[in-house]
Amino acid sequence: MLTKLAGGRLYDPTHGINGEVRDLYLRDGQILAAAPVGETPRQTYDLAGKLVMAGAIDLHTHIGGGKVNIARTMLPEDQRNRVRTRTTLTRTGGGHAAPSTFAAGYRYAEMGYTTAFEPAVLPVNARQAHMEMADTPMLDTGGYAMLGSDELLLQLMSEGVGQEVINDYVAWTLHAAQCIGIKVVNPGGISAFKFNARSLDVDERHPHYPLTPRDIVRTLSRAVFELGVPHPLHVHASNLGIPGNHAATLATMDAAEGFPIHLTHIQFHTYGTEGDRHFSSAAGEIAQAVNARKNVSIDVGQVMFGQTVTVSGDTMRQYANHHHAHPRKWTCMDIECDAGCGVVPFRYRDQNFVNALQWAIGLELFLMVDDPWRVFLTTDHPNGAPFTSYPRLIRLLMDRGFRNDQLGQINPEAAAMSCLGSLTREYSLYEIAIMTRAAPARILGLTDRGHLGPGARADITVYHQGDDPEQTFARPMLVFKGGEVVVEEGAVTRVVHGGTQVVRPAFDPAIEQRIGRWFDRYHSIRMANFRISDTEMAAGIGSPVTIHPCRAPGVA
Amino acid sequence: MWQTEPADSTLTCPFCGLACDDLRVATDGVDPPTLVNGCATAQQAFSTAWVQAPGSPRIAGGPVALDAAIARAAELLAAAHAPLFGGLVADVNGMRAVMDLADHRGALLDHVGGDALFRNLLVLQDSGWMTATLTEVRNRADLILIFGNECTRRFPRLIERVLLPTDALFSPPGQRRLVLLGDWDPESLPATLAAANPTLIPVANTDLAGVCSLLRGLIAGRPVRADAIPGVSGPQLEDLAGRLRAARYAVVTWAAAELDFPHAELTIQGFVELVRDLNRTTRAAALPLAGTLGDVTVNQVCTWQTGYPLRSGRQQNRLRYEPVLYRYQDLLAGDHCDLLLWVQALAGTAAVPSTARPTIVLGHPGMACEREPEVFIPVGLPGVDHPGHWYRSDAVCPLPLGQMRAVGLPSVARVIGLLGERLRVHHG
Repeated sequence: MLTKLAGGRLYDPTHGINGEVRDLYLRDGQILAAAPVGETPRQTYDLAGKLVMAGAIDLHTHIGGGKVNIARTMLPEDQRNRVRTRTTLTRTGGGHAAPSTFAAGYRYAEMGYTTAFEPAVLPVNARQAHMEMADTPMLDTGGYAMLGSDELLLQLMSEGVGQEVINDYVAWTLHAAQCIGIKVVNPGGISAFKFNARSLDVDERHPHYPLTPRDIVRTLSRAVFELGVPHPLHVHASNLGIPGNHAATLATMDAAEGFPIHLTHIQFHTYGTEGDRHFSSAAGEIAQAVNARKNVSIDVGQVMFGQTVTVSGDTMRQYANHHHAHPRKWTCMDIECDAGCGVVPFRYRDQNFVNALQWAIGLELFLMVDDPWRVFLTTDHPNGAPFTSYPRLIRLLMDRGFRNDQLGQINPEAAAMSCLGSLTREYSLYEIAIMTRAAPARILGLTDRGHLGPGARADITVYHQGDDPEQTFARPMLVFKGGEVVVEEGAVTRVVHGGTQVVRPAFDPAIEQRIGRWFDRYHSIRMANFRISDTEMAAGIGSPVTIHPCRAPGVA
Repeated sequence: MWQTEPADSTLTCPFCGLACDDLRVATDGVDPPTLVNGCATAQQAFSTAWVQAPGSPRIAGGPVALDAAIARAAELLAAAHAPLFGGLVADVNGMRAVMDLADHRGALLDHVGGDALFRNLLVLQDSGWMTATLTEVRNRADLILIFGNECTRRFPRLIERVLLPTDALFSPPGQRRLVLLGDWDPESLPATLAAANPTLIPVANTDLAGVCSLLRGLIAGRPVRADAIPGVSGPQLEDLAGRLRAARYAVVTWAAAELDFPHAELTIQGFVELVRDLNRTTRAAALPLAGTLGDVTVNQVCTWQTGYPLRSGRQQNRLRYEPVLYRYQDLLAGDHCDLLLWVQALAGTAAVPSTARPTIVLGHPGMACEREPEVFIPVGLPGVDHPGHWYRSDAVCPLPLGQMRAVGLPSVARVIGLLGERLRVHHG
């Protein structure tokens, strides 16, 4: 069936299209190169005056896996406060900070998102993460496998095995856990906490292994690059939340030694120690460092005020922060000699000095990093705020007047400590399209989405243009998923199910002998049951895989 | 349904929360087959399942075709206003199907082992906890406290696979210290425990909360009387407090199912708080033992799909979570539901609850019912008749279950799927 989207204003940064009025033709779930000659569209949408973008892509959002389910379990009040009733189309289950899988899928689609990535898949918990994402309708999904505190990697590195062995293990992990990227969380720190270390700085030796976080970042960023995995090593750096941690953040950037590296929720890692309270913004230094290092990309992890829950693999830092739990309950878990997780509910308050400054630091970073292709719009859902706050965040970036009004309402000492009021930059629609569509697709190696060119999946969002960007981005006029209309005027009108996006770098299968021996000796499950097959993904878990190509190994 | 890889002849055992995945069917052609590596419970359960004839669906006791049973069950469900879906012994895909049907029919949910499940969940919801998983404990524990006296009966390979393995990364098994706090008779310790030369502190389960309080006080250096609980040795507790302080990674384990007395969740809270106190200076973790009859499996699915654990209702298209009120035994006794759909794909000790209300049972073929239900549909056992996913005790590892035979028994997922389809087509 041929569908025509007539006369919309297109924002497609992948192809340099900035608000041009063009028609789009869709057929069989894809965007066509040109109008088919002599064929009349079955359906035409008149989009005069409307904004047309590719479906949005969230590259860092905690939507699946054990830690999210612990958060849901711990917070029945989160459900009670945001009820979503059943309709003839949609299932019951609501929630705000830790929504049900169904609610997360519907809400993402209702904001024009069509693809989302869970950034902390513990390989041993990957089945659950994929099962939850399979039960998250409307979205294509994918995950980043966590390495860096797994005892096997640390053991291999300590033994001094060659980089090629590490590369094989990293590639094997991507296959086994059905993931598209590799993430490291507090490199070595989750393991160190199990040995009762309460902190681990970038150049500090692990309590058990002759290794430092710097070694781990260097080794893993090199592995990811040499394997040709498109997405750079995704790094949750050391010392999250600690005043003065900007030094560790800069050291982590340099630990990659020029290999591509993505520093995630960098707002939580951009803290100085100036001022009476010894807590200040280091956004200037961090932004300058990002601007100067072309191998570095970041997402912000913006804080927005209100109740949320923090979920993280970083047990060391979650434990340290448990005193701030609101409501007063928290969970930490040591997991399978593989990783860990910590769940701490949190309420960000605009009159609290620290929280207010966190909010300002995130915005400073957005506005001071020059290249929108290297800074991504995230709240680290739900750690900085639930993903549903994105439209408001977009308004903060696009509307200086609104931003300054908000600045005037936060804790005045924090406002005085921030340079936010002096930053005049306002993001354009084109730049928003870069950071929410074109750039995430590019940095993940997804050539089939994030743009409106021929052959792209017909995942498309159409917005009403108004004066208030928050209104615009909160309630799209139309969302197409695979060429079908799934949302109209901000409400789900058709429920669809997506698939899992993965990469498959080549590796020497001999690594399985080493891994298998390790499992037989120390693990409580067998290696064969750790691996997830494609058939299991499709038939058992319910989310078939789409394999995206890797670069030629070692080529930038 | 996907098949397990034919080259892989190993099985994952769904008959306790350890979900041991190293079982193999001996290939010596005996019938019923014998298992390599399974415990006695697994051997018994697999053998019983193997010899059980698949049976036939029944309406009011008379054998019928599956279609007819589905049609009758759909009629009953369509007429119900407040159905209770209980038992819920099912694999992940079985529970996914149950959730879909429950949403459609506005059903209340509870698991056959709901009491044990919620003893732990209420603590997680009230305060949270610090826990570890099986492999972590296997490699790291140096001091292990077992509360109660049924852990090794309920989880037969716990010692061998988790607490005292032959090999470990960071804590030599030979140097581990096992402390048993429960209603033990020193003369009748199970051999696996006796071999570990454990420290025995006899104490009634109802006194465990008090013991934890004393230990916490001693660890914190508060002026507590260590001999405050009659019959529990003060010097032993003082000694244990010292060992806990000195341990590098103490593990506290219990089986909530065994703590069957009113407000046992407060006792569990004591265990959890003890662990938290220890973590101020050293490392320690709780290891709550669960996973029996799929309680963790179905609770996980329910939680991610609705945001709430089990014991929830969904009338008037709205979810309502009532961990205390929606206990299936009380719902039936108070006549708060007008139909019972009981799902039980594996054999347990509890029978299908008897109710005067119309009852539909999806049960394993050997299932006995006190009262013949209006509709009985035999279903396959996950891990025997069809592949599936099954959570271990620690709620982290959903393991793939294999399939060891094909006798035509449909899975829970398939029967519920047919039921849902029939309801949508014929009953709107």
